[in-house]
Amino acid sequence: MKALLLLHTLLLVSFAELSTLTVDDELVILDGNLSAGNSEDNCVVNDPSFGIKEEEVVEEQEPPPVSGHFNPFQKESLMDYPFEERLVLRPLPRNFLLASFQFNITSDELSIDKGASHFNSYAHNTVFPRSISPILEHTNTRQLHLRFTHGLWDAESWGQLPHNGSKSGGTGVEIWAVLESDSKQAAFAQWISLANSLSGLFCTSINFIGSDKTSYPVFSFQPSGENSLPLFNENSKLYLVRAALANEPICTENLTPFLKLLPTKGKSGVASLLDGHKVFDSHWHSLSIDIETRCDDTSCKYHMEEFVEMVVHVPNALDRAEKPIPKPVEEHELRCDESKPHDVFECFPLPESTDREFELSKLFGRYILGTNLVSRSPSRVCAEVGPNWSALVKVGNTYFSTDDNCFEIKGDELHDLYLQTSDTAQVASSEDVPIYVSRSLTGYGQDGGGLRTVFKNPSNETVSLVYFESLPWFMRLYLSSLKIESEDGLQLDDVITNTFYLPAIDRQRPTHLEYNLKVPPNSTFALSYQFDKALLKYAEYPPDANHGFDIESAVVTVLSPLKYEMRTATLLLSLSTPDFSMPYNVIILTSTIMGLAFGTIFNLMVKKLVTVEEADKSNGSVGSRIIFKFRERIKAIFKKKVPLFDESKKNQ
Amino acid sequence: MALIEKLQRRIIDLGLLPRLIASLPRLSLVCAMVGICWLTVFIPMEGQYRRTYISENALMPSQAYSYFRETEWNILRGYRTQVQLLQSVGPHQRNEEISAWLQEFGVKTATFVNEEGKETLYGILNAPRGDGTEAMVLAAPWFNGDDEANIGGTALTISLARFFNRWPVWSKNIILVFSEDANATLRSWVEAYHTSLDLTGGSIESAVVLDYPGANDFFKYVEIYYAGLNGELPNLDMVNIAVHITEHEGMKVSLNGIPEEQLDQDDFYSKLKTLMRGVKFMALAGARKVYGNEAFSGWRIQSITLRARGEEGPFDITTFGRIPEAIFRSVNNLLEKFHQSFFFYLLLAPRYFVSIATYLPAAIALSVSFTLASLNNLLNNSYSSASLLSLYNIWGLLALSVALAISYIIAQLLAYAQHPQLLVLSSFVVSFIPILLKNVKIMAPFAYRCRAFAYLYLSIILTSLLVVNFALAFSIGTLAFPMTLVKNSVTSKLRLKNCLLLLLSNPFISIWIFGNLVDDQLGGIQMFYGFISAWKNLGCWTWFIICIGWLPAWLLVAYSSIATSSISIVDESQIEAVKHKKTL
Repeated sequence: MKALLLLHTLLLVSFAELSTLTVDDELVILDGNLSAGNSEDNCVVNDPSFGIKEEEVVEEQEPPPVSGHFNPFQKESLMDYPFEERLVLRPLPRNFLLASFQFNITSDELSIDKGASHFNSYAHNTVFPRSISPILEHTNTRQLHLRFTHGLWDAESWGQLPHNGSKSGGTGVEIWAVLESDSKQAAFAQWISLANSLSGLFCTSINFIGSDKTSYPVFSFQPSGENSLPLFNENSKLYLVRAALANEPICTENLTPFLKLLPTKGKSGVASLLDGHKVFDSHWHSLSIDIETRCDDTSCKYHMEEFVEMVVHVPNALDRAEKPIPKPVEEHELRCDESKPHDVFECFPLPESTDREFELSKLFGRYILGTNLVSRSPSRVCAEVGPNWSALVKVGNTYFSTDDNCFEIKGDELHDLYLQTSDTAQVASSEDVPIYVSRSLTGYGQDGGGLRTVFKNPSNETVSLVYFESLPWFMRLYLSSLKIESEDGLQLDDVITNTFYLPAIDRQRPTHLEYNLKVPPNSTFALSYQFDKALLKYAEYPPDANHGFDIESAVVTVLSPLKYEMRTATLLLSLSTPDFSMPYNVIILTSTIMGLAFGTIFNLMVKKLVTVEEADKSNGSVGSRIIFKFRERIKAIFKKKVPLFDESKKNQ
Repeated sequence: MALIEKLQRRIIDLGLLPRLIASLPRLSLVCAMVGICWLTVFIPMEGQYRRTYISENALMPSQAYSYFRETEWNILRGYRTQVQLLQSVGPHQRNEEISAWLQEFGVKTATFVNEEGKETLYGILNAPRGDGTEAMVLAAPWFNGDDEANIGGTALTISLARFFNRWPVWSKNIILVFSEDANATLRSWVEAYHTSLDLTGGSIESAVVLDYPGANDFFKYVEIYYAGLNGELPNLDMVNIAVHITEHEGMKVSLNGIPEEQLDQDDFYSKLKTLMRGVKFMALAGARKVYGNEAFSGWRIQSITLRARGEEGPFDITTFGRIPEAIFRSVNNLLEKFHQSFFFYLLLAPRYFVSIATYLPAAIALSVSFTLASLNNLLNNSYSSASLLSLYNIWGLLALSVALAISYIIAQLLAYAQHPQLLVLSSFVVSFIPILLKNVKIMAPFAYRCRAFAYLYLSIILTSLLVVNFALAFSIGTLAFPMTLVKNSVTSKLRLKNCLLLLLSNPFISIWIFGNLVDDQLGGIQMFYGFISAWKNLGCWTWFIICIGWLPAWLLVAYSSIATSSISIVDESQIEAVKHKKTL
């Protein structure tokens, strides 16, 4: 099969010069005079610029103090490794709180010349996780982005995602990487190898990524940072590869490996707050890792950003810490609307109290166990709160405050953060999202359906964005059915400026769809198209076949007026599912019926019904019958004698 | 000589085949009797039905303690007083008010206005840390099926939503729907949810419609309605958990509105009554009073209506609220869609059921009886030897297509110009065709073929319907059966008999009589409006099946009952034989 594919691709490449559009060629519908190009070009990240002057601020690194007399546990002389950590707390409307744990790690200089297989090479790792670099080297990965996200980000009330959405993925696991390779096939092999290695490392099912889930983004996911895309081999190219697993549940087993990547292992510094029970009890949580290879004139280093972010509902989380079951409140705790009838019988509830004070340790169930011991810059905790909030750090039994509400964790004492306000509704203003995108499945029945995506631009500016969608092959898409519903009379041509479409191949490749869209100010429109549901083979159904199939979220990358990234919710597609015990039942039933029917019919056709007289007649003359009877007698005598003979033998 | 040969000879010797053919009318009658008795006599007998059980282990109904009590009672009453005050304001203002309450505790709300201009308010309570791909619906129509203000239901839905909001256990989104009525408005919302709504919360797995009319604190017992449109039923597990939870809370369950005094009975007649009530509800779904669960039929949504009955009683309104609470907790446990238990079943009591394999023979027997009647008309006359492509067969088929066309036109006409009185009247007149058209004569073989085709057509319709919509197939089969007894109108006595049979088996007259006999709601001509509005508003096919399935057959039979002139039919092979003889 693979050989066939290879042949096919070769043919394609050779025919590409004839510029005939074959079925497998990507269909790029462009507005201008841009050419479609073949698949090789499309997935190559352009402008690999190894050796361009590095301009960013990676802290100049002093030689790490690894000499023998150094005592790492002395408080005064903290080690100084390229590691930074930060916890940012940002209250959100409706009593929610965003907690964002941020860790930056830079590796030692890489030895580029030596391949990973060089027997002489040795690796020295300081704070950069030792488990990651061999994987990156082995698979020639220049950039790796990993996202574990779950829950719903309520953009309407919470505003923009943290970091302009660049650090959070869609529900489930999302992974994309820039790989250096000679060819697309080789890049894919490296990609699979990368996925398999990461799957073990992070306790996820990333190893289920195959060619049917992998896509090569064209407009979206463009790697940022010019000097972070070095090309170590002049002859090879960089490939951008991406996949997502929407049905991956994110759980504590995913957090543990995250913490293990940190030099503090979650035992000190802000990471000591991270407890799986609390992280995954939040309304929305996102774990992310971004690794880039950054090079300057002389050397290259891996740069890793690890983020753990979550949104907790403060009252509920505090209540849960006290009483795990949210039982009805006591009568004296009822807060009734005084303007409406209220007595011992009835109570029209007031909205949640906006008066709140809490300590971080109540939310996380833990204290910050001192600063991290490996970095010169101490761990920092920042509270991005409005003016009506007061934020205090509690060290031991003493409270401290600062002007900018940022606190440095020093020493190994337990730290806690105290937040108080009389009006939680007043929060540090968060920017509104540039666009709302929601997607839903439409239709009736098991043979087909539709996908409907609503774009709503509430702002006064035209928003231009890239809409990326990778759909499984069993959704057989009809792009011809693409329709726009708009109350403002918008036409397809008005909003779609550019389309990239790579149709799916059964069991081999997903549908890859990217639009460049222009959403006019203050407008709402819906794009919809129809699809057929393919029938799966018996063994292709997952164990929970009747759950349905998760469709990964679509990715919206806003290009202007600001850079912003967001994902739609995932969808659940129900395919017609066989009753898996039915083949067994059918086999049993049909075999029984066949057996019975065959026996009966065979007997009816072959056997004869004869009377005894007839049978006797047919058995020959009287003489022969007498001889036959005689023979039977003798046989009977012998039969009787044999056991006697045996017994005598035994007695001897 | 093999056994089979022997058998065949014996059959020929005994003349079994001609005898069998001669007794076809009797066999057909026996089949119909067996079919009717199977359902009405055999199934309610001890040993034929089974106790219900929860098939999907994940559901675990009533395993978690229900906490909708204590101070939730005060909150519920607080909301109820305000809901009562909203009775006097218009739908739009009322929806805005309720929407504001819901938004206070984080429900995303939106309003949907259907083509008739009726508003439906709905809100989505997103499951914390859920993936948001699945949803459970809690619906409270503002006016219930009886046009009573659903005050208790609405207040319950709001306070339950507030209560649910504090629980971290949800893995599925919770959608709250406040529609104007339980009928077309709710249906139009469900339809819009799957086509054009902007605010959605994933695929709907289950729907519970709350119906607690009035502002009374106490009620007596709970009614559960489950029959969907077009023969669709919720998964038996869904009904089972509802029954289980309700009985667990101590309340009595009445299926399909069985009167209270009959709830304690557990004998043959009570089971028969419940069974036939279920069949009636399924067959007349949409045309009868609509309780709300019908609106969710299709889209793989398992829906039931819970209805509190009685103004006085031992049970408090929060007790009623604990039923949806526990149902939601149960459904929330599901990892897969409802698929374990039966989708085709008949209930004989809240805890007794028969599955499709047990009750299907009833409809099959009825369908077979029509096939036998068709064979009877094909074989049991002197024209049976006509060749397959004879003129009579072709005419018969042509007549069938004409009848089909007429039926289709009637169905469409009536859906637009609603004059069912005219329809019943004309049906009445046409039924007397054998007497009215005394002097017109049609050819006897043609009459036979017409009937054969009519019965065969109806049999095919019934067969294809019996799995999908058993109740309808069974009812049509039973009511249309007198049709098979129609014979060629040779004598005036036969003519009168045919008239009576035609009258009885006419689709419109017979469902009219039947409706008036068995259902107090569908008195008079009301039933036809019910069917037509169900077809138009709810997408219920019953009206069309009656018009296109039943009516053409009846038209053909009516036509065939015009006086016949017998002709001698000559078989070509006989002619050949005669010719051969002559030449000899």
